[in-house]
Amino acid sequence: MPMKLDLIQPLLAADITGGVSAILRQWLVWLILLLVVFTIVAIRGKIPLQYNLRNLLVRWPTTLLISVAFALVVGLLITMLAFVNGMYAVTEGTGQPGNVLVLSEGSTDEAFSNLGYSDTGDIENQAGILRENDKPLMSRETFLLVNQPVEEPQPGRPKRRLLQLRGVDDSEMSGRVHGLPLEPGGKWISEAGVQGQQENLSDIEVVLGEGIAAELGFDRPPEVRAKAKNSQRLDAGDKFYLRDRQAIVVGVMKSRGTTYDSEIWAKQSLVGPMFGKGTYTTLVCRTANEAEAQKLADFFNNDYDRAALSARPELEYFESLNETNKQFLYAIIFLAVVMSIGGVFGVMNTMFAAISQRTKDIGVLRILGFKRWQILTCFLLESMFLALIGGLIGCAVGCLSHGWSASSVVSGGPGGGKGVLLEMVVTIDTLAVGLMVALVMGFIGGLVPSISATLQRPLESLR
Amino acid sequence: MDPTTVYKYFVLIVKNLRRGLVRSILTALGTMALVLVVTMVWSVLYFLEAATSEKSANLKLIVTERWQLPSQMPMSYASALETGAAKDPGDIEPLDSMTWQFYGGTLDKDQRTRDNSLFAFAMEPKKLLTMMDDLDNLKEPEKGEFALVVEKLEANRQGIILGKDRLTALNKRVGERIKLFGLNYRDIDLELEIVGQFPSGRYDGSAVINREYVLQAMDQYAAENNGTKHPLADKTLNLMWLRVPDQEAFRKIAAQIENSPNFTNPAVKCETASSGISSFLEAYADLLFGIKWIFVPIAILSLSLVISNAISISVRERRLELAVMKVLGFRPVQILFLVLGEALVLGGGAGFVSAFVTWFVVNRIMGGIKFPIAFFPSFAIPDEALWWGPLVGGLAALIGTVIPAVNACRVKVTDVFARVT
Repeated sequence: MPMKLDLIQPLLAADITGGVSAILRQWLVWLILLLVVFTIVAIRGKIPLQYNLRNLLVRWPTTLLISVAFALVVGLLITMLAFVNGMYAVTEGTGQPGNVLVLSEGSTDEAFSNLGYSDTGDIENQAGILRENDKPLMSRETFLLVNQPVEEPQPGRPKRRLLQLRGVDDSEMSGRVHGLPLEPGGKWISEAGVQGQQENLSDIEVVLGEGIAAELGFDRPPEVRAKAKNSQRLDAGDKFYLRDRQAIVVGVMKSRGTTYDSEIWAKQSLVGPMFGKGTYTTLVCRTANEAEAQKLADFFNNDYDRAALSARPELEYFESLNETNKQFLYAIIFLAVVMSIGGVFGVMNTMFAAISQRTKDIGVLRILGFKRWQILTCFLLESMFLALIGGLIGCAVGCLSHGWSASSVVSGGPGGGKGVLLEMVVTIDTLAVGLMVALVMGFIGGLVPSISATLQRPLESLR
Repeated sequence: MDPTTVYKYFVLIVKNLRRGLVRSILTALGTMALVLVVTMVWSVLYFLEAATSEKSANLKLIVTERWQLPSQMPMSYASALETGAAKDPGDIEPLDSMTWQFYGGTLDKDQRTRDNSLFAFAMEPKKLLTMMDDLDNLKEPEKGEFALVVEKLEANRQGIILGKDRLTALNKRVGERIKLFGLNYRDIDLELEIVGQFPSGRYDGSAVINREYVLQAMDQYAAENNGTKHPLADKTLNLMWLRVPDQEAFRKIAAQIENSPNFTNPAVKCETASSGISSFLEAYADLLFGIKWIFVPIAILSLSLVISNAISISVRERRLELAVMKVLGFRPVQILFLVLGEALVLGGGAGFVSAFVTWFVVNRIMGGIKFPIAFFPSFAIPDEALWWGPLVGGLAALIGTVIPAVNACRVKVTDVFARVT
């Protein structure tokens, strides 16, 4: 049991990057080394590998069934990990190293933060915040979650949307601070924040993240989409409803892979009062670098006495949104372990059957002079080879999930969070985990039957 | 088939399974592992499905701020909402109501951690017994015990009721006092006494305080700040639950509320609990779709393959025995049923054992599957799992055994004996 704990604990405690820890890669290296050593030993020890391979071919229905079962388990595991990788990619891809995110003290999430107007003026004049043309590089924002009914719900599409709306003072400045440029053909929100006239109410100008532009685009009826200049998403000039007012898209941000991908930005002075939130929720200040960002955050938290603030370097804030990712990852580990246990019993069954069918072969091999360890290696290799075939097919199947889009929520714990649109990511690490799980299943599943084969007495086997 | 024949078949099936005991045990264990996965995943889906299914009677109508999340309405809305905004002859009133206020606090404001932070619902204590899901239908003696706890909270406005997991996380016991420093209501700090614990289960991670104490703390704030109200003083009512008898009453009361001039700033909306939950779960739609239509089918398919493999091996090894049975007069269809029966007993039996053990361990020992999603902290294994298990195990076994069973009944006696000789 200590062995098991040593393997699992570092995995759970590891600083998981890209969804899969380096520890898993080490495990795979050890397993492949083991397989290589076995193969070398088998060749040098004149173990009849061809005999094993031929057996797998002769008993092809069994080989096929168990390989497909392995492939399904591994493929599923890779798909699940690709989903979590996508979530990690979003939280890790958001935030600028020199940015400091300021909320009101005690706020666990932007949605609960309330910063006074008077506070912001003083905050932006603090030393450490970069300036350009005497203007502080700072984004003043009001983050809102809007419960918006879909105008014409399409079959299979949601009837309501929880829109993430960010009211900003100066969208161009906010885009610069967050490192989000506009796609060609778009423009930032104007000073007035509105354009045109419709029933005495102007259209609210908005810029969209790429993800939400696509989601809202697919909410349109098919006939509208067919006539639209971009059927795949909303683009500059397209309109939709925000509360009961029409909004016009003036630009789409290059936001893929960030939490801003699912956000709508509009003029704060318009949407704040419209949704009953007149105050700012968030200030994002740009400093020279990561160290300066930490220094400024410490200053706001400990020494600044004009307002009670909760400041964090932006990267740290987005890292804290990994709680949901960890929760999903642990759930996947649990499911993978239990499914692998099921797979192990499947392999064990197959190998026991293989051995019982070849009792006489084992007897002959023993009489020909093959040692017990050679018999053990022989059957263990057969089992691991079976697993390898299944694992490789599973990896190939799992790779298909790479690039799939999905929605999810990232949060730092209960009582908050952000809806995100993510792209599933299959990495080398993910494939390594899949292959490793297959090889472990093959090894454990083959070990007991292989030992039982070594214990057979040659003469009794031949009777 | 008469019962005696069925019994004879059953005995034959059990004997066959016992003869290959190691093989049968391994197949059963593999089945149990995969049924465990399916049972746990289905339990989560089943709960969410139930939570988002519209009821036809005894509904809860939820009133929230119309456009914004989190919903923040003035507490002054509560009294009019309690009556369903009924003002004209013919208007109807709800059967019961309940206010919800969310208060987040921490025991240590300098070193805030997940464990020393607490989110509590502030509400009228007595409504816990009539309006809260699962607490409104407790059985004795739990019902009586919990009623006493509620009485204590009613009597002590500085009381708090905690779930057992929250008590453990805070490292506190009933009777101890705690001080919470406000997180969402800055400068509203509460000194509380733990007056009791929730019955085990759904509310293990929850906390409830007396709403009177939160309102009093707001008044106190104004008194200490020269009459200046707390910035969120008019935004303390987060939700209002109204119990209505049926869909017709729901529509009528919803219309009364949404058309009432009393609720315009902010505007409010009415929805059923299921519709509200569906909106929240929309963010997880892709994940839930994947679990339902990719994960579960693949888990069942791989289970079928494991069982199919085991039964195929068993059939191949028993070709001689099957040939002898044919010589003895067994018809192909009887052999088919025999092989299918073996798989069914093995798969169904293992499935039942797995589902029962999962149900017992998760519900009675672990207190639910701790997988917080949306606002559900944990999920219990429903009693229905006791039939899902054998059904999944049995069905997967049947699917996986069709081809081996057909092969078994096609065994040609002459071929088998030709090889034997």
